[in-house]
Amino acid sequence: MPEIFIDNKRYEFEEPGKVLQFMLDNGLDLPFFCYHPSLSIPANCRQCMVKAGMPVYDREKGTFEIDENGERVIRFFPKLMTACSLDLADGMVVLTHHTDELVKQAQADNLEFILINHPLDCPICDQAGECPLQILTYKYGPEGSRFEHKKVHKPKAIQLGPRVILDAERCINCTRCVRFTDEISKTHQLTIISRGDKNYPMTAHGQIFDDPYSLNTVDICPVGALTSADFRFKARVWEMNQTPSIDISNGKGCSTWMWTRDNLVMRVTPRFNEAVNDHWMPDAGRLAYRRFNENRISKPQLRLDDAEQVRTSWNNAQLTLLEELEKISAGDILVIGSAHASVEDNYALRTFFSNKGVSEFRFLPHIIPGSGDGYLISDDQAPNTNGVRALGFQETDEKTLIKLIKSTKPKMIVILDDDLLGRTSLTPDHLSGAWTIVFGTNHDETTRTANLVVPVTTAAEHAASYVNVDGRIQRTVPAKETLYTNRRLNLEMSMGRLDHYGTKFDNWVTDANRVDCISAWEFFIRLEHDGDAPKWESSRQIMEEIAGLFSTFRQVSYDRMDEENGIQLKLEQDTEVKPA
Amino acid sequence: MNNDWKSYQPLLVPAIPDLHDISVYEKNNGYQALKKILSDAKTWNPANVINEVKTANIRGRGGAGFNAGLKWSFMPEPDGKPRYLACNGDESEPGTFKDRKIFEFNPHQFIEGAIIAAYAMQIEVIYVYIRGEYRPFVQKLQRAIDQAYEKGYLGKNILKSKFSVEMYTHMGAGAYICGEESSLMESLEGKRGYPRVKPPFPAQRGLWGRPTTINNIETLANVPLVMNHGADWYLAIGPSTHPGPVLYGISGHVNRPGVYEYPAGMNIMTLINEVAGGVRGGKKLKALIPGGSSTPPLRADMLEGVTMDSDSLRQAGSMMGTAGMVVLDEDTDMVELIWRISYFYDHESCGQCTPCRDGTGWLEKTLRKIKDGNGEMRDLDLLLAICYRMEGRTICALADAAAWPVRYSIDRFRDEFEKKCKKTVYAVA
Repeated sequence: MPEIFIDNKRYEFEEPGKVLQFMLDNGLDLPFFCYHPSLSIPANCRQCMVKAGMPVYDREKGTFEIDENGERVIRFFPKLMTACSLDLADGMVVLTHHTDELVKQAQADNLEFILINHPLDCPICDQAGECPLQILTYKYGPEGSRFEHKKVHKPKAIQLGPRVILDAERCINCTRCVRFTDEISKTHQLTIISRGDKNYPMTAHGQIFDDPYSLNTVDICPVGALTSADFRFKARVWEMNQTPSIDISNGKGCSTWMWTRDNLVMRVTPRFNEAVNDHWMPDAGRLAYRRFNENRISKPQLRLDDAEQVRTSWNNAQLTLLEELEKISAGDILVIGSAHASVEDNYALRTFFSNKGVSEFRFLPHIIPGSGDGYLISDDQAPNTNGVRALGFQETDEKTLIKLIKSTKPKMIVILDDDLLGRTSLTPDHLSGAWTIVFGTNHDETTRTANLVVPVTTAAEHAASYVNVDGRIQRTVPAKETLYTNRRLNLEMSMGRLDHYGTKFDNWVTDANRVDCISAWEFFIRLEHDGDAPKWESSRQIMEEIAGLFSTFRQVSYDRMDEENGIQLKLEQDTEVKPA
Repeated sequence: MNNDWKSYQPLLVPAIPDLHDISVYEKNNGYQALKKILSDAKTWNPANVINEVKTANIRGRGGAGFNAGLKWSFMPEPDGKPRYLACNGDESEPGTFKDRKIFEFNPHQFIEGAIIAAYAMQIEVIYVYIRGEYRPFVQKLQRAIDQAYEKGYLGKNILKSKFSVEMYTHMGAGAYICGEESSLMESLEGKRGYPRVKPPFPAQRGLWGRPTTINNIETLANVPLVMNHGADWYLAIGPSTHPGPVLYGISGHVNRPGVYEYPAGMNIMTLINEVAGGVRGGKKLKALIPGGSSTPPLRADMLEGVTMDSDSLRQAGSMMGTAGMVVLDEDTDMVELIWRISYFYDHESCGQCTPCRDGTGWLEKTLRKIKDGNGEMRDLDLLLAICYRMEGRTICALADAAAWPVRYSIDRFRDEFEKKCKKTVYAVA
């Protein structure tokens, strides 16, 4: 197998590749700014310089030349090489800052160059704390600067587009953003303008940077030059907890990080997942974080007679539902699952009502044809259409549903987290003949019409699974607490930065920001007072149960999802429930 | 090379009236080399043409001095897909103004050379990249190209052979960096003129990812000479390590500045004193920039016996570059001069690589400080340090080009720099 010697240590490589990526894959450190594994390699920051050489091959003898110590004679390249663009070669010798003084000096020199025109405004810069320039300067940089002139001044706080703001002075011209719009989002909206130390990224004259993926440039910007118009000046990175999650704003289900502080989701950023979204996600998914914080339903709401909805206790909400159920027979109940809710919640809904004798379960896919782009934005607006389908919910369009309501005149309509009134032609009149219970996260037209509203958790608050448009099942991890979360007991809760380094709980939590809600499945186990009730203690257990019942979900478990970053399901398999 | 330069007859820009007209050029042995090759394709198959040019050792006239035939031989075998020849007439190095003479007075010799090069490398498309400021010369060249098309030297089935080639001109928009071969290609492709990382080299992946060779205009104008008279004849002109005619662009403090064509390897003092009429106003010579602003300046006392060819100039501590000689008399303020050169490179750095983008600006600012009389002695050390940190650490050679004049000037004219610096004494605590 071909071999390479990095800092006098031997490594083997199989695939051809570049030295920098190989070093990163092997956990070796080397500073870099412009390199990004998913973009082309411009080698323009010149930060990852190493000394590299090849053994001298004696063609006549057919062997490598050997010196008097029995070592291979190495012919080093005359100049330092950028590791990012240097191809791996059999027998290559690479010396980094650990073993070569010149490389160490070159890396420090390069940082000195970068910093001479970089405003050292870290205390007011949004990037501080997660800034490669800051981190690498501490690690590899010079002790000070010998630059005693006025720095180059460039425009600041330019609104490039609706979501991205540029501070040109901070730009170190790595061209990652330009390459992103050229190679990934392919809108070609950014370019570098001007020359030399006066240059910075800009749109064409009069154009706005409205790329649907524009915020990815903020993520990959190695300095604070590109900042998010939404997140700017809102929170410091070190104050936030970071929880792995998925994007539930569309069917693709990009892997994300959910950043929380004070029990509020502050921002959502993409998390690397080769199988789904690589390093990227659409802007819409990031800005969807507001639904976790704002307009939340806290505490159950009950409509008494035809009056306004009033807040009520959980106990009262449960008793009311049980009373209503006693009044009617199973045939009078219409249960509508939701592609916006998780596999577990839909399963719990289904289990509860099948135990009550209901046999038909329906759901309305939320698909807007033509709204997707074939990349990370899908036509499907819901994160779990395939999951609900796989659980045996019957796909129903709105016309059929309205017809169904008109013909069968159900006495009770159960709607799981889905704003049917808001997004379909269903009107309050259609529901007026029935007693309606809605499980909802945010106030919307549907919850306002309901007779009973049960507030349920969002993807930010529960551990639950969703099956994306490609049939990949992925799960969320609770990132913010509900009123009932006990961090010490709720083992699904993520461990935050502060949990690791300080207290066992997030000391930025403000009780006011806790929402009074529970997962839908928790509501159902509370309803059952008899011995037949499901004995679920966590959504993890529910998934185990589902995995045992549905062939589609066979082998699926939270542990496997965590380990493999989601599991690809075979959707064409039959989804019938096995006899228990 | 003694005094026979006086009897030398120009070959690249001969003194023939209206040579830019195709009929005059044809009457003066024009397009004979091309006819000779195409009429005897057996003897002159592409490989043989490359060999002949390689043997003639035409050193690239764009500054690097690389054997043109050897460069051509790097092109891979044709695979039926497009491959390109790009002719570099960007000529933006301060002190260099030779290619314009060819465009103006002998464009057909260049066109003929380019066609032969295309034939040798089996290329069907030639781009001529010319600096935008050369508008009148571009028009002259365009007329010459049109004439060549009319006469069937360009286009489909040239001179009824199977060989076809198209030639297009492309005007630059004023960036110095677009004279660098890889950013020239980026610019031709319609992109921002950023030099490319090598490898891959242009012969592997050039214009639009296809094999491409880039040659200087003057280099190509030498090709018909080689093909007409043979490599041995060509090798006999000037030193065999750097043979052939050279267009010396002499500017600065001389009595008769201009472009002069003589064999390579001319004695520098002969060029200054006899060809260009000596230093203006009878002043003493102070220094010479031998090949465009990026080549290290030589002090007058370093010029003894130095000739204008790569080897001799390297020994003397400089480079041949483009043979754009800038003559400086005793009144020249070296600090002011070097600052002005640094200002140029600061302005022209494309801004891609960190050491060049920020280093050129730092050099310029520090030199400006010294020039304005605010410099301190430690600034000289700083300048040298910046230069060492820029050299060889960037994608293209602009950082080197910016650093060399500064570094070598401080080396060679340190007293002048010191004179402008304050003798600050720092208290040592």
